Amino acid sequence: MTNFIDYLLGGFSNGAVIALMALALVLVWRSTRMVNFAQVGQAMFTTYIALTVQQSTGNWVLALVVALLAGSILGVVVFFLVIRPVKNSDTTGAIIATFGVLIALQAGAGMIWGGDPEGFVPPVDNAGLEIGGRIWPVSLYDLLVLAVTAVLVIGLTLLFTKTSLGLSMRASAFNPEVARLSGVRVNRMLITGWAIAGATGAIGGVLIAPFSTISPNSFDILLVFAFTAAVIGGLDSLIGAVTFGIGTGLVISLVSGYSDSGNAPIVALVLLALNLLLKPDGVFGHHGSRSV
Amino acid sequence: MSKVEGVSKVESVSKVKGLQTFPGNRIIWHALIVGVVWLLLLLLNNNIDPLYSSYLALIAMYATAMFGMTILVGLSGQVSLGNGALMAVGGYVFALTSMNWETVPIFGWQWNAIWSMVFAGLGGVLVGGVVGGLAARLKGPYLAGLTLGLAVGVPAITNRFPELLGGENGLMLTVPYPDGGYAAAGAAASLDPGAEGELESTTDPGGDQNGELATDDQFAELDLSEFDQETDPDAGLATEDLLTEEDFGSGDQLADGDLLTEEDFGSGDQLGLDGTDIGTDIGTDAGTDIGADLNVDSDSLLDGFDSGFIIERWQASMAIAVACIVAFAALNLVRGRQGRVWKAVRDDPIAAAVVGISPSGSKVSAFVVSSLFAALAGAVFAQILSFIGPGAFGLGLSLSLLVGIVLGGRASLLGAILGAILLVWLPELVDGLAGERGWPEQITNNAPNLLYGLLVVAVVLAAPGGVTGTIRSWVDKARGKARSPLS
Repeated sequence: MTNFIDYLLGGFSNGAVIALMALALVLVWRSTRMVNFAQVGQAMFTTYIALTVQQSTGNWVLALVVALLAGSILGVVVFFLVIRPVKNSDTTGAIIATFGVLIALQAGAGMIWGGDPEGFVPPVDNAGLEIGGRIWPVSLYDLLVLAVTAVLVIGLTLLFTKTSLGLSMRASAFNPEVARLSGVRVNRMLITGWAIAGATGAIGGVLIAPFSTISPNSFDILLVFAFTAAVIGGLDSLIGAVTFGIGTGLVISLVSGYSDSGNAPIVALVLLALNLLLKPDGVFGHHGSRSV
Repeated sequence: MSKVEGVSKVESVSKVKGLQTFPGNRIIWHALIVGVVWLLLLLLNNNIDPLYSSYLALIAMYATAMFGMTILVGLSGQVSLGNGALMAVGGYVFALTSMNWETVPIFGWQWNAIWSMVFAGLGGVLVGGVVGGLAARLKGPYLAGLTLGLAVGVPAITNRFPELLGGENGLMLTVPYPDGGYAAAGAAASLDPGAEGELESTTDPGGDQNGELATDDQFAELDLSEFDQETDPDAGLATEDLLTEEDFGSGDQLADGDLLTEEDFGSGDQLGLDGTDIGTDIGTDAGTDIGADLNVDSDSLLDGFDSGFIIERWQASMAIAVACIVAFAALNLVRGRQGRVWKAVRDDPIAAAVVGISPSGSKVSAFVVSSLFAALAGAVFAQILSFIGPGAFGLGLSLSLLVGIVLGGRASLLGAILGAILLVWLPELVDGLAGERGWPEQITNNAPNLLYGLLVVAVVLAAPGGVTGTIRSWVDKARGKARSPLS
């Protein structure tokens, strides 16, 4: 039983990062109705930028801020160069184009920073805390990750529910035509959506890097987990993304604890397949209809 | 007036129907086309540097897998990243089944290999049926995400069963080469021993070795008959050691530091080998470093020469055979009724359902066919590598297949072939350029992928039909017809 609790506690910070990545996917889906498979590529790239900043200045907060800015800029650049021109013409092409961006970003990162895995030094201790005479599987850094994630999720929730920008974004996601007629600058909202998604993914990347190492391909698996979480959550639900992101993190932690961390992708695949079979629109999703 | 019109309409319809019910015409044409291409490829294979034969083998292997991508992505409109994983399925089934069969060589290919290919295909169909069944319920990004999970998950499955599947290290394959050598392979009718091999050995009839390696920068020829007649086996120990079957045949078996591999001969300029250097080395005796590095007995050497067996050639002819059979099947499917069904569902599933086509059935069938092709390609790939492991069949392979199909032309079988050529040729081109310009390794290793990524985006934006689609739309424009680049 103590094992179970340990594994569960150890999964929260990983789950928080998966939740951030899933959030980024959902934000893009809400603004442009497509899955950005380059999302983790963008996050990987900005994490490398953050790594460079941290290595030269030693300042983690500065690195996080730089990653955030770089992430939003990269999101906007990808939107303008790739997504906006292709989006309406060819849905299959749009999916393929995001994979093209992913391949190019990974190769670009390999060119600039090399293919060898690099360590990202956490700003605070990443060893298990000792409270009440036993070592818990939660470190100071885990708590920091959870705190940053919580701040971000609360901030996004407030943005979408309490501000006129959030209302406009929701309106243009829900029905672009009507929103445009009501005076919402839909295009600007799409750009904002991509920028926020890019920033969210970038923060997720910086947060998860210290848990292992960073290399051009190291976030591939994160894409699978985040996609699983986002789809189970319904792809257009922010709450769903966060809930199932953390849920996925917990499941992975349990699987890794009781068997082997190599089994995690298989479990994610099974979860995803089951969900798509039983509830294709996700738990929090809305069932769509299509006009002929 | 209206009566006449009606009659002519009925006639034209019956003509079209006649074409559909008796497709023999078309099948014969396809068989002819594929047969001629097959023959030409075999001729090509027998007359080029074995180094290029190994490229040919890879191209044929990629093309086999990408014919399936043409059907799945291009015609059926389902973006799949799982075909690399399905290739792994084929490769593993081949590896596991090929170990335990009786070895009976027929037409240069042992039956165990053919049975294993059949089982690999069956494995692909089975897995493809399951995934396709799931996929039929999904559209667009969901399917891409699920198959992405497959691409990442299948290598993980190999780690799950380390005893059976070899885990991270994969399985070594005993590739069932034909016992009778390449000459018995049936495909080698045009093999001229004088034109084969890499070295021109002007040996001294007196028995004293003056072996000279005339390696020109592309590829030097070895006059085998001359070698056989004039070499004195006792005196020519160093030369014999040098000219072993393995050395000629397989660059891949020589990773263990052997000096003169086939590839080295193929491009002597890289190593700075010139005729005189090697000539002197051979001219001395077995005690020189070249001779010392190689320790293969002379019997295997002579066997190798007698049969003229060159592994690259065999690999290429095997891969070409599979690719041509698959191409024939794909041609008939794509240009027949099934191809129209796939396109109809891709363009509008509801309209297709209205005319009596089952959209999910069509999607599943596309998935199963592409899985079959992918699994066969995987079995071929495993034989080319004589190895199968999760590393070679990861997400990268799936992405390359997608890249190839998009660049070549998503909805065309010719596009699949062009894409396969591009996948093999571009890295070589970049390698060559990098060698000339002296780029650092970090740049060279990533340049092909950077190009692929940028090209994919550019093609999707500017020319969604890829190379073949764009050329076809130019032709149509010149003829004054308008057509979608993906039709």
